[in-house]
Amino acid sequence: MQIWAGFMTALVAISLWGGAAHVFSESVLVASPSGVWAFVSSNSGLLVRATLTTAQNAALGFVWGNIAAVIMAGLVTMQPRAERVVSASALVIFCLPLVATGPILRVISGPGSAPQIALAGLAVYYTTYLALLVGLRAMPRSWSDLMSVYGRGSFMTLITVRARASLPYLFAGLQIAAPAAFLGAMIGEFTGAERGLGVLTLRAMRGLDVDATWSLALISATVAVLAYALVGRIGERLVGYAPVIILSPPKPPTRRNIWPGIAEMVAAALFLLLLWQVAMDVFQLNRFFAKRPGDVVRYLAADADARLTLWVALKETMAATIPGFLSGLLLGAGLAVAVILFPKATRVVLPVAVALRSIPIITTAPLIVLALGRGATGTITVVAVMIFFPTFVACLQGLRQAPQQIIDVFHTYGAGPVRVLGAAQIPAMMPALFASAKMAVPAAILAVTTTEWLATGKGIGVLMALTSTTSNYNMLWSCIVAITLVAVVMYAAVLWAERMVLAIYASEQLT
Amino acid sequence: MRTPSIVLGKEIRCAGLTKQFDGAAVLGPLDITFIAGQTTALVGPSGCGKSTFLRLIAGLDLPSAGSVCIGSQSPKEVAKRGALSMAFQDPALLPWRTVRENIALGAKLARKSDNGVDDLIALVGLSGFETHRPAELSGGMRQRAAIARSLVSEPELLLLDEPFGSVDALTRARLNAELPPLWRKRAATTIMVTHSVDEAVLLSERIIVLSERPATVVADLSVTFDEPRTAKLIDGHEFQSRKAQVLRALGVAV
Ligand SMILES: Nc1ncnc2c1ncn2[C@@H]1O[C@H](COP(=O)(O)OP(=O)(O)OP(=O)(O)O)[C@@H](O)[C@H]1O
Ligand SMILES: [Mg+2]
Repeated sequence: MQIWAGFMTALVAISLWGGAAHVFSESVLVASPSGVWAFVSSNSGLLVRATLTTAQNAALGFVWGNIAAVIMAGLVTMQPRAERVVSASALVIFCLPLVATGPILRVISGPGSAPQIALAGLAVYYTTYLALLVGLRAMPRSWSDLMSVYGRGSFMTLITVRARASLPYLFAGLQIAAPAAFLGAMIGEFTGAERGLGVLTLRAMRGLDVDATWSLALISATVAVLAYALVGRIGERLVGYAPVIILSPPKPPTRRNIWPGIAEMVAAALFLLLLWQVAMDVFQLNRFFAKRPGDVVRYLAADADARLTLWVALKETMAATIPGFLSGLLLGAGLAVAVILFPKATRVVLPVAVALRSIPIITTAPLIVLALGRGATGTITVVAVMIFFPTFVACLQGLRQAPQQIIDVFHTYGAGPVRVLGAAQIPAMMPALFASAKMAVPAAILAVTTTEWLATGKGIGVLMALTSTTSNYNMLWSCIVAITLVAVVMYAAVLWAERMVLAIYASEQLT
Repeated sequence: MRTPSIVLGKEIRCAGLTKQFDGAAVLGPLDITFIAGQTTALVGPSGCGKSTFLRLIAGLDLPSAGSVCIGSQSPKEVAKRGALSMAFQDPALLPWRTVRENIALGAKLARKSDNGVDDLIALVGLSGFETHRPAELSGGMRQRAAIARSLVSEPELLLLDEPFGSVDALTRARLNAELPPLWRKRAATTIMVTHSVDEAVLLSERIIVLSERPATVVADLSVTFDEPRTAKLIDGHEFQSRKAQVLRALGVAV
């Protein structure tokens, strides 16, 4: 059934595409199906080799990134006090803009596939970590009581109950991670790899080869969708039971003293600064490109022009990030709600949504910007597209977790779907929405900086690209620090909003 | 007439036990000693703090004041030995485990052998459903599985929170007849919360009636009948007068 629906959607998409290509035949924007077919058939050997290379790097990064995520989530579940420091460090590392870490990793490691694998791992570990953390906590209190009654501690609870209960969440995370790993590997290839789809894409875009760009976009999208579907299928096999229903009594919001929280944040920041300094000293990285915290401070303190350049670029970047971030979230949650209200729409909406998210942003960014212009609209759209799909999937899962008993109670009183939605389903969606919002912060920044770098030539993305080619590593590291700080502030804002809302709806997620 | 088996050092002493949630008193102060090997029924109005009381005895919550001692040990130490088990108001079955696996989990967690699982499955009337998952059971069947899980580890201290709440009258009568000998044979100290006064009188050797929240002791009655007890008792004069006593303590006009 689903395959059939997907097939129909693809058919409709191809006819629309053919029509569009016909209408826009004068523009340099839309390749025709026949042009794509010609490119693919005359370069099939090259394309197969490139796809295999990229897929292999993505798979390696996927494995390493997810192993790291599982270890971190397990640690934090057993030692909740470690959460802030672990989460903050994980977040900051995830927020490091790939546009800048890619070139730096390349300089450090030289030729080879290490940067691609590292970037693929960096692109996935955080989403898996967050999804798993939600899953490990999504447990009715009576289950942990059961373990305590037999005197079993947090480790036994983790392996007998939590690990199994978190599987649906883990697979939701892994499913999102599969296309993300592919995207990460491609960005890694932009930084001077010899082989891979990323290399071909960059070449096609530089040469304004529309047929090639479209062909590569289609191939990457297909691989990403297949990876997504494969992980989903494995998940269905392994999970094998209806997801757990959480019925835990809401806790009244507690006015916690904020100082311990701030102290933990400061501790995490100091820990990261130390890590930065020590890592560079231990590996004896060249001071020319591997700047230390002190170098950045000295540079920014001494050079007023540099401060101004950075500030202007940052403002341009934020002007696209914030609207894109919010509209992506709104669109994702809104569509999930629409799908619940009109279940028949799922069949149409879901395949389209999968396709949209799975098309690696890199290949769509220049096309979207070409279509919508170099102004903010194009970049905002890219960000929204990037965020939309994970949000949609997570919110849909959340909505479907609404306890059936509660929905039944409403139905016995003849309540309509809208009442049920507001009273039972939206509250059940809240934890998922906030988890998506957290994941969306770094995703938005990745999308913005990449788009700026590849297409619009504005903002901090292009500043980072320029400074890495002109070897102005002081500015490059300043950009990294600035953009990371922005990400942390956005993340903190999401956390604050989450505390306000989840305190009412889903207390088991708060520790 | 059975003499209560007083095993020194294993009784449960609650001294000045008090629990508050966010400053509001929910329970106590309670000074009660549960005699080892005895079955005690706790009855009281809904929301008076019975589940809270059981959770304090199980060491799931910490008292705001006062203490619980089991023999010379704290509840947590008893739990660590695998000598404690509890059937919750909500069955708390794991959805990915079959009925049999859920019941065997009680033995596994307490580090005991799971030899008794099949007998218990038959006893609670779940034969034929061993490989079903909780989602495929009725509410009463889930509760029976949870009761079986609490018994399989052969605990010294058994805490039952309305164990028969959603079990039908017939099964309830059968379980009422068959379960108490089981826990008495093992000299388990049993504390059972129930809303059925009949059940309290029929099953227990002592009934403690609690007041409205915050729960304090209104009446503490001992119940002695010829053993083994049978359902025929219910029609007897002695039974009815005990029952009336409990109902009066609960504030029900008789
Ligand atoms: N975690 C909690 N936080 C705040 N109040 C609580 C909490 N748990 C229980 N209470 C309150 O304590 C009181 C006693 O609850 P408890 O569950 O012990 O009642 P109960 O006697 O078992 O009732 P029932 O017979 O209906 O099961 C209730 O008024 C409840 O609102
Ligand atoms: Mg209760």
